Amino acid sequence: MLSGVGVGVDVCGLAMKAVGAKFANMEVSGRIGLKEKYFPIFEIGIGECTRYGGETTNVFSTRAPYWRIGMDYNVNKKVNGNRFLVGARYGFTTYNYDFTCPDLTDPVYGTVKPLQLEGLKGNNQWLELCVGFETRLWSIVRLGWNIRYKMPTMQSYSELGTPYYVPGYGRNDDTAFGGTVNLTFDIGKTARKNGQKPLFGNLFGKKKNKEAKETKVKEQTPAPAESTPRAAKRRGQ
Amino acid sequence: MKQRKAFFLACIISLLGISSCDTIDCTLNNTVVMTCNFYQGGKAVQLNDTLTVTAVGVDNPLLNRKRGTSSMALPLSFFNKVDTLLLHVSGEDYAVTDTVWIEKTSYNHFESPDCPVNMFHNITAVKSTHLFIDSISISRPDVDFYEDENLQIHFYPVAD
Repeated sequence: MLSGVGVGVDVCGLAMKAVGAKFANMEVSGRIGLKEKYFPIFEIGIGECTRYGGETTNVFSTRAPYWRIGMDYNVNKKVNGNRFLVGARYGFTTYNYDFTCPDLTDPVYGTVKPLQLEGLKGNNQWLELCVGFETRLWSIVRLGWNIRYKMPTMQSYSELGTPYYVPGYGRNDDTAFGGTVNLTFDIGKTARKNGQKPLFGNLFGKKKNKEAKETKVKEQTPAPAESTPRAAKRRGQ
Repeated sequence: MKQRKAFFLACIISLLGISSCDTIDCTLNNTVVMTCNFYQGGKAVQLNDTLTVTAVGVDNPLLNRKRGTSSMALPLSFFNKVDTLLLHVSGEDYAVTDTVWIEKTSYNHFESPDCPVNMFHNITAVKSTHLFIDSISISRPDVDFYEDENLQIHFYPVAD
């Protein structure tokens, strides 16, 4: 029943962090494979966002962990190293967020006071529907991507203002799209077997392959001395 | 070879999809004012006299010499618990002033880093002097972006 165990990392989130994107979800995942069809999965990550308002000079910031549990189903019936996955996740996070802005000026009395809202508490849960594809690169290494449609199921946050970004969910809208590019290390019975032909071939066995090909070619070519007409003539003489 | 090309193409498309467009969704009407409508004898009425409203301690009027109006929209202070407003009504041969006290709680409201921060209010109590104001009732305590009626100011009925 248990066909393998995999651990993965979302390289897209790391790339977004590296290029200084407005927000980034950096996550790792662990999953088990059942009959090469069902893949229960657990994802944990850290979502962070620092967003500067262009004209307003407001700043929103948060950084908090998030979790997702769910399952993928492999639609591909052939065991050929490729997996077409459809699945669902349930995500949840509890976080603090900060908001700073220019000093507020009273419209009646003209008094000015600074405003800095720190440690506002938020709590969100959401459902994700996923579609994705992954393939075996070489050996136990697999690369895949998926696209996710996210719908909030529960959200609570401070009355002072809605958070601009929710860790793990993304921008705080009624629905959201997201995605990951996963580099996964698959360990188990089907990890090596199910790739009949890895996408990048056998990177560490190039020389061996060449040698094997050469010996095959030698075996297939007929012995020239025996099959030429000249040799037959000699035998007849 | 085809498989490899298709895989990388799918990766690029999905990455483009992930880096989706960013939009700014600020509320178009982002002024916060308290809306007061005038009533007389239980019916909405237009005030033909001149109305001036000032806050105690402030020289600049909040509403200056307004005539023929049936309502007024006033800003509330951000940091005071009670706003004290002076309503001056003047006609050809008279001028009276009523004082209105508005108790409220104020709280910050923000929607996005791209939008300005606003102050919303919740009116908890209203009282006034009664020279020309008969009574004041709270119809909607929340003072926010919606310009719905917050206070009903009832004037004394006209003597026959």
